[in-house]
Amino acid sequence: MIRYLITRLASMVVMIVLATLVVFLISHLVPADPILAQLGDMQAANPAMVAAYRARWGLDLPVWQQYLIFLEGLVHGNFGVSISTQRPVLDDILQYAPATIELSTIAFLLSVIVGVPLGVIAAVRRDSWIDHVARLLSLIGVSAPTFWLAFVVLALFYGGLQIAPGPGRLDVVHLPPPFVTGLYLVDSALAGQWDVFRNAAAHLILPSTVLAATTLGLITRTTRAAMLEALGQDYVRVGRAKGLKERTIIIRHALPNALIPVVTLGGLAYAVLLSGTVLTETIFSWPGLGRYTFRSAVSLDFPAIMGITFLVAVVYLVINLIVDLSYALLDPRVVRQ
Amino acid sequence: MPGLRTIAREKSGRSALRMLVGGLVVAAFAAMAPAQAQDKQVLVLGVDISDARNFDPARMADYSSPITNGAVYDSLVTQKPGAYEDVVPSLATGWERLDDGQRIRFTLRDDVKFWDGSPLTAEDVKFSLDRLLNVKDQPAVYAQNLEKTEVVDEHTVDLYIKNPAEPIMINLAAPAFAIYSRAMTEAQGGVSTPGAEQEDKATQWLNQNSAGTGPYHMVQWERNAQIMLQKNPHYWGGEVPFERVVIRHIGDSAAQLLALENGDIDAAFNLTTEQLATLEDSADIDIARGLSLDYVYMTLTSSPELNEALGKTENRLAVAHAIDYDGIIEHLMGGNAVRPVNFLPIGVGGSTEELLERIGYREDLDKSRELLAAAGNPDGFSFQLSYANAAIVGTSYQLLAQKIQSDLARVGITVELNPMDQVQLRTQYTGGETQSVITFWNPPSPEPQLWASASIERVAKRVRWEVPQEVKDVVAAAGAEPEPAKRAELYTEYTEMLQAQGNYILLFQPIYRIATSQAIEDFNLTAAGWQVQMGDIKPSQ
Amino acid sequence: MSALAGARTPAQGVGETPPVDRQRRLRRQLRRYWLAVLGAILVVAWIVIAILSPYIAPYPYEQIDLTQRLLPPSAEHWLGTDMLGRDVFSRLLVGSRISLLAGFSVVLIGAVVGTLIGGIAAYAGGRIEELMMRLTDLVLCFPPIILAMAIAAALGIGATNTVIAMLVVWWPKFARLARSLVIVQRNQEYVEAAVNIGYGPGRILLRHIMPNSMGPMVVLVTLDVGQAILTFSGLSFLGLGVIPPVPEWGAMVAEGRELIQQWWVAAFPGFAILTVVMGFNFLGDGVRDWLDPRSRTR
Repeated sequence: MIRYLITRLASMVVMIVLATLVVFLISHLVPADPILAQLGDMQAANPAMVAAYRARWGLDLPVWQQYLIFLEGLVHGNFGVSISTQRPVLDDILQYAPATIELSTIAFLLSVIVGVPLGVIAAVRRDSWIDHVARLLSLIGVSAPTFWLAFVVLALFYGGLQIAPGPGRLDVVHLPPPFVTGLYLVDSALAGQWDVFRNAAAHLILPSTVLAATTLGLITRTTRAAMLEALGQDYVRVGRAKGLKERTIIIRHALPNALIPVVTLGGLAYAVLLSGTVLTETIFSWPGLGRYTFRSAVSLDFPAIMGITFLVAVVYLVINLIVDLSYALLDPRVVRQ
Repeated sequence: MPGLRTIAREKSGRSALRMLVGGLVVAAFAAMAPAQAQDKQVLVLGVDISDARNFDPARMADYSSPITNGAVYDSLVTQKPGAYEDVVPSLATGWERLDDGQRIRFTLRDDVKFWDGSPLTAEDVKFSLDRLLNVKDQPAVYAQNLEKTEVVDEHTVDLYIKNPAEPIMINLAAPAFAIYSRAMTEAQGGVSTPGAEQEDKATQWLNQNSAGTGPYHMVQWERNAQIMLQKNPHYWGGEVPFERVVIRHIGDSAAQLLALENGDIDAAFNLTTEQLATLEDSADIDIARGLSLDYVYMTLTSSPELNEALGKTENRLAVAHAIDYDGIIEHLMGGNAVRPVNFLPIGVGGSTEELLERIGYREDLDKSRELLAAAGNPDGFSFQLSYANAAIVGTSYQLLAQKIQSDLARVGITVELNPMDQVQLRTQYTGGETQSVITFWNPPSPEPQLWASASIERVAKRVRWEVPQEVKDVVAAAGAEPEPAKRAELYTEYTEMLQAQGNYILLFQPIYRIATSQAIEDFNLTAAGWQVQMGDIKPSQ
Repeated sequence: MSALAGARTPAQGVGETPPVDRQRRLRRQLRRYWLAVLGAILVVAWIVIAILSPYIAPYPYEQIDLTQRLLPPSAEHWLGTDMLGRDVFSRLLVGSRISLLAGFSVVLIGAVVGTLIGGIAAYAGGRIEELMMRLTDLVLCFPPIILAMAIAAALGIGATNTVIAMLVVWWPKFARLARSLVIVQRNQEYVEAAVNIGYGPGRILLRHIMPNSMGPMVVLVTLDVGQAILTFSGLSFLGLGVIPPVPEWGAMVAEGRELIQQWWVAAFPGFAILTVVMGFNFLGDGVRDWLDPRSRTR
């Protein structure tokens, strides 16, 4: 087990170096100078000013040296300073990431809480109307473009019916709660600001529902398939023959086995949620990592791009590792193999 | 399928789902906070301040930060809204040119105190301007004509000018030339001597506080959230109307509109043309208007290597005569824009709407076709139009580009659209590699010479125009001319030269509109750089 | 529903089995696959629209008239007009071309390239296989937005370049599937027989193994066209997709996204994306069921 872990961690390091290297090279191939967009028109025509700014971000050095500096900073936990916000990339990420984590976690919980029971019921009552409805809903869920769904719910519930709050994390009257985790629900609860808590919760409803649509479909369908598989196994038949209650068979025997693929997919889906919220964030003016990523890519903000690439690679690899480890917990055979 | 409806009535696992959804909806209702009664001790502005990175006057280079700095700092001189040709006294009561204009002597008011109560002296002026020069960040470029400063006595200071023929007074009114307290800044690590670019440490403090003489002073800046200003109890201009000013960051225009309608904010800065149209008839909301000095323009290269057809002047002029300017202003801008003749916006250097009538390009398809024929391209030609994928004053470059593409198609000119991101556009445009671009001009200060010299120097390089000496002479003469009428004449002469050249096509100069609540009045907009005269705003009587 | 009724009639009285029996079986099949049928109808309908759109669109898609901007749906403009006064309905019809074309190109090229790489790797085994697997891992841990934007920035905005950017992240899933399928086939007897006859590895791979692995590939391809269309429209929404004035659904939603009052500008193009992607997903779902022996016998 420990040897397995060490190999996995070693390969993770290699992957991270490779991933950041590739992104570094591609972004430096773009024929554009990010400094010029940060300077005023007059300043951009002033060679001394341009040179000073280029030197400030080490852009006057050879490209390979810039990459080594990035790696060296990484070892010291230093991502450098963003070119467009002019403050440490880590500070930026710490500010924007909680908004995305809060949103995607709620969306993920929503899709698990609804998706797993729905999938189980669909499998148990196979070919019943609920199975058909679940299938239809999940197929529509994975087919709807999130940016459009976001627009439609916003136009309908905010613009039309006016029962939901608008874009952003809080209404204008509320100030963000004192920063502890950056998750407004947690921070406002810690500070006892229940009006802020309610407002933050209300602001989460529409975007998290939209975000959950795709994941919900995937989780429902995977659960259903896995449950069908599990219900066809011998031990279920044995259980039935022994006269166990159907409910016991489903919950105690079939479900744990069925959860293995669900956990795999769920982990990946969560990773996708974390890195794939840019469209939803754009429509809901959500100050999250997705929009920060997009803006950094657009403005060719090298330090920010590299910081995010590193972060996304780590999150992806760690979630993968956790998924594999939880396999081991749910099914000890995996490690022995 | 047919049985679905009947089955749906059956008892099922749906109830849990319904409860969940119901709970969420209740939470949403509960969160709709009631509109709070406005305490008119506090002025709340809703602005998109996501671009703000710096409030240190020696480093500030963003679009929205001057709104704040205009309220917390004063300069030696200032400008009245609408009168951008001239400066009026502010911290200085008067000034005179000495040594053939090489030296300008300023006399300071003797009743000015910083917000902490300490008096303003010539030392503070010297410190602020020296620090601007020696920190060497972006605003220093505007002070290139400033040699040095010298304290004469407690209320007199001399500014030494490198080239007296180049105008400087209007620049001095710009936010970069703000005057702040030497004592307060030095206490926070501020340095004004050579080497300040390395040694100065005051920026962090100046981003959270201010050290000026304006009607308010800054007490907090929370990035992408809000800026808090407090009343300056020692303000030299008299009693300040509000205890506090809160500049709330609201990035989304729909949210700004809602907050204004709910009374949560007193002014919404970034509404779209469509949203403002819905407010026109509102009894509860006023719309403050102000002609900006910004504009959106299009360039055409002179270089036959980049585009053979555009290398001919007649072809460039043919483009200029085939654009439906009025349609763009009337429909895309909702009528909230004007059009200057060429590089000088309306309001400076004698640029007026009458001048546009007289020498401006106008939509004239026959003339355009004649010009094409004269150039030897009677069937038209094609060129590449580059623009950034971005929004611009209530519309977008993409929409403008498509409109121009369809306009030019009428005379047989084919436009290939070339959208790209801002960074690439900037790189290609400043490198002089574009055939044609649509972009935006936002002046650092309303000095006509800044536009004129740009159009014959750095921007001319971008469109690869070899500027003849006579054009340069006219611009230099205009810059040195103190007499306004004669200056306007010279600038008109220069404008006609640009018109004949056909490298720049001015599309529109927007009228900025800010929606305000009835609870406040005297909301005066300015184009001088800080957008709004914050000190003027009062609670309604 | 009409599809169900229409399909039933020609079946009556044909063949030797008693009509009632046959009818029942058909009905059962349709009950089972009605979603797939609906999906097929949607897909075919959109393909027909894409082909005919230049002839059936009531207005030229690029016809600008600023005096007609932002008109609500009416008899003249069924789906209203956009910010430049263009007919949304015409643009929506023509927009189907680029979406379908992009969706099919990404998936087909991705499938061919991925299958070749995956197939070869699996057949070769050893270090090459290991290298391929690590490469697919690598692609998966990039932030897709950054990768797509960087590639689009390096190559320039446009439909072809967006397809290229998508392909970079698209091939690995086909490669992985192809690898697992080939591994299953590799040990089958007929492969050993072919080796014994003396066929070369290329021939065995292309002529024997590949055809036998086609089923799952077909499912992935059909399911994936919808996914590819969705991704393409998302990138287009962010401004990477197509060069105007060519209409594209994602870009149309982007243009209208701030117009909550004039909802028709964004709502209809998005709905078009939904229907075409739904079509492919319904169809793919049905094909999977049909190919899955366990779900067939019941």
